[in-house]
Amino acid sequence: MPQPPTTLTDELGIALSNLADAAVAPFTPTLRLGVTGLSRAGKTIFITALIHNLTTGGRLPGFSAMTEGRFIGARLVEHPDQGVPRFAYEQHLKALTGKPATWPESTRKISQIRLQLKFQSQRWTRGWQGPTVLNLDIVDYPGEWLLDLPLLSLNYGEWSAAALKRARNGHEAERFLNDISAVDPLGEADEPTAERLAQAFTAYLRAAREDGALSTLPPGRFLMPGDLEGSPALTFAPLPPPAGPSRSASLHAMMERRYEAYKALVVRPFFRDHFARLDRQIVLVDTLRALNAGPIAVADLETALTDILSCFRQGDNNVLTRLVARRIDRILFAATKADHIHSSSHDRLEALMNRLVAQAAGRAKFAGATTKSVALAAIRATRESVVADGGDKHEVIVGTPQAGEVLDGVTYDGKTEVALFPGDLPGDPDKLLTEPVALNFLRFQPPGKLEKNAGGNVVLPHIRFDRALEFLIGDWLR
Amino acid sequence: MKPPFARPVNTATGEIEPTRKPRAFSPEAVAVPDEIEVLSDDTVTLDAEVAEPPRLMRWPGRIAWMAGGLLVSLALGLAAKRLVSELFAAQPWLGWVAVALVVVLVMALIAIVIREVASLMRLKALDRLRAEAVRVIETDDVRKGRAIATELLGIYARRADLARARDELEANGRQVFDGAEHVRLSERLLMAPLDARARALTAASARRVALVTTVSPRALVDIAFVVFESVGLGGDIARLYGARPGVIGTWRLVGAILAHLAVTGGLVLTDGVVEQLLGQGLAAKLSARLGEGVVNGLMTVRVGIAAMRVVRPLPFVAVRQPMVKDFIPELGNVLGETR
Repeated sequence: MPQPPTTLTDELGIALSNLADAAVAPFTPTLRLGVTGLSRAGKTIFITALIHNLTTGGRLPGFSAMTEGRFIGARLVEHPDQGVPRFAYEQHLKALTGKPATWPESTRKISQIRLQLKFQSQRWTRGWQGPTVLNLDIVDYPGEWLLDLPLLSLNYGEWSAAALKRARNGHEAERFLNDISAVDPLGEADEPTAERLAQAFTAYLRAAREDGALSTLPPGRFLMPGDLEGSPALTFAPLPPPAGPSRSASLHAMMERRYEAYKALVVRPFFRDHFARLDRQIVLVDTLRALNAGPIAVADLETALTDILSCFRQGDNNVLTRLVARRIDRILFAATKADHIHSSSHDRLEALMNRLVAQAAGRAKFAGATTKSVALAAIRATRESVVADGGDKHEVIVGTPQAGEVLDGVTYDGKTEVALFPGDLPGDPDKLLTEPVALNFLRFQPPGKLEKNAGGNVVLPHIRFDRALEFLIGDWLR
Repeated sequence: MKPPFARPVNTATGEIEPTRKPRAFSPEAVAVPDEIEVLSDDTVTLDAEVAEPPRLMRWPGRIAWMAGGLLVSLALGLAAKRLVSELFAAQPWLGWVAVALVVVLVMALIAIVIREVASLMRLKALDRLRAEAVRVIETDDVRKGRAIATELLGIYARRADLARARDELEANGRQVFDGAEHVRLSERLLMAPLDARARALTAASARRVALVTTVSPRALVDIAFVVFESVGLGGDIARLYGARPGVIGTWRLVGAILAHLAVTGGLVLTDGVVEQLLGQGLAAKLSARLGEGVVNGLMTVRVGIAAMRVVRPLPFVAVRQPMVKDFIPELGNVLGETR
């Protein structure tokens, strides 16, 4: 039987926090935007672009509050929760707009930020008292940690079985599997053995991730430990089921205790504090990286997304249920890095995205949430063109590939600009999950020359970012 | 007993979709970004089409008009020819003057015809653009959406009051990758200011009509005034949206507006019917003439809205269409202030 992801105490705490929020909502409502995505899906970029576009009045023609002239402005304010670091917006922006421009480093720890939006409401109930203020809370975190959420409903035995099955499929896990077969799960527990096993397990997880786009690799803290590195809660590994009943002093029992501790100390608080009370969710998926890696990675991505998304609380809200239980009533599935592919293929990219999240979207819709999928680029790094090659027209994208990217045996140095034709995406997304297709998406450098607006702020080019915003927060700004 | 059989009804060609391999080109190979596709008329028609306006005339009527018109032109030609030859007989120099005048007249007529045809074409172009926009909103075709925005920019290229909107549309349009979004953006930027002015024109016209009806001594006077104002209003709104109709154009436009009123009459009636009845009832209680004035004013408002719907090059999607009830407050203070 799957376990509930939270305890009764957690539920009580969540309900009380919701009540507290509801109490201040008539004055300044707070909207929690869940930016969900595995590592390298573009969460940090998305949040940075969101803050920059809203605070500097970026070019967002599809964002109706701004186009209709009702949006007054936004500013960053202090977050009431002082225990979590602030999202380093300024640093990320500096990296993006610096010379040379670089993408922000991958996120290593959790951070959050509050954005205060000011707008004039169209509704007479809110509009008569002048501009309305809305707080937008956003959390950034390492994408690896998201993999942990499905663990909340698995016990040690179930998780071990799944993890070992996966390890046997790959070839990276040889050393770890040898180590495991050498120990006796019912033997006396000792710390050096546990540490050795945990290290071997971690090494296998890292190798598997380097090797391909395997997304289903919990526990996530083994890949990105944050500040818990070396603590007992992070020193465990999956073990085959014991032959007999395990004593409490046995290795198996110790591992099980540590697994439960990991869930209780690491995963559950993470979920409770940051994901149990979301209003809106955007699921960022880097489909192109999975496509580069091949059909197994794509299928794997689908499994991971379905597992992770089943942990969120989705469904429609009404005035009364919002008081104690907040649910996500709108989910946007975004295929990120849409600038790495020509816009004529965006339809197909969206079709693939729909295919990948079909199960998750179906569940969300059944629960009463609205879903939508788009091909998105929060920051557009390329431009489009056409190459005529002997009568054959290729729709290409022009940009500077990152140093180390390889195509046709040519390694790019991060300075040469090329016109890339990444291959045709097949019209039938199922094909991408079953057979290899000749596709090669290169990663590009951030845009080099950026326009500036009248206020002297850079204007970040994007693809459909305005529509994403409109879907996510547009109705709150009416 | 018949034996079972299977017969191919549709041979699958076994053709697989050609997929092309990834490639990188050096930037020198990059061609000019392909130019924007011109809108063609032979696009697929969708069910989302606007309702056909009722045809005013069938073919026997058309033939009768055509034959009659030809006869009248022949008679006019004959009269002119006779006049010229008589003048030649009387005085040769008078004859030459008459020839010159005829030439001038013909040239002027040709110029008028060209202008009329051009104005009809402009009206047609707006119609076509609107139908195309409806289609693009359905299909979300990027190229067509972009083409619509470009065409609109062309139509309003010489309008000083839309300079900023044009600039914004051009700058923002580059960032838009969805056809429907192009249409919505163009509507928000280009149409919205024009809508506001069309509304003001309609309101002013309705107020004038209401006032004249209230104070006019004879019913005939206010009927004439309503017709005069309506035609004027239709022309003004058409000019506002870039149609610049001539004489025939105005005639056509009035026909289209009437047809539109006939088609959507019921629809407009449902909008705020309570307010309308209430307003009329109250006004009629105060004074019979004032009640009539309000009725005629509302009629003008409907003509204005119909004119907007007929000449506006985009359908109302992102911007709300003005309703009759929006004008009721304006009509209410008819006695307070008039322009």
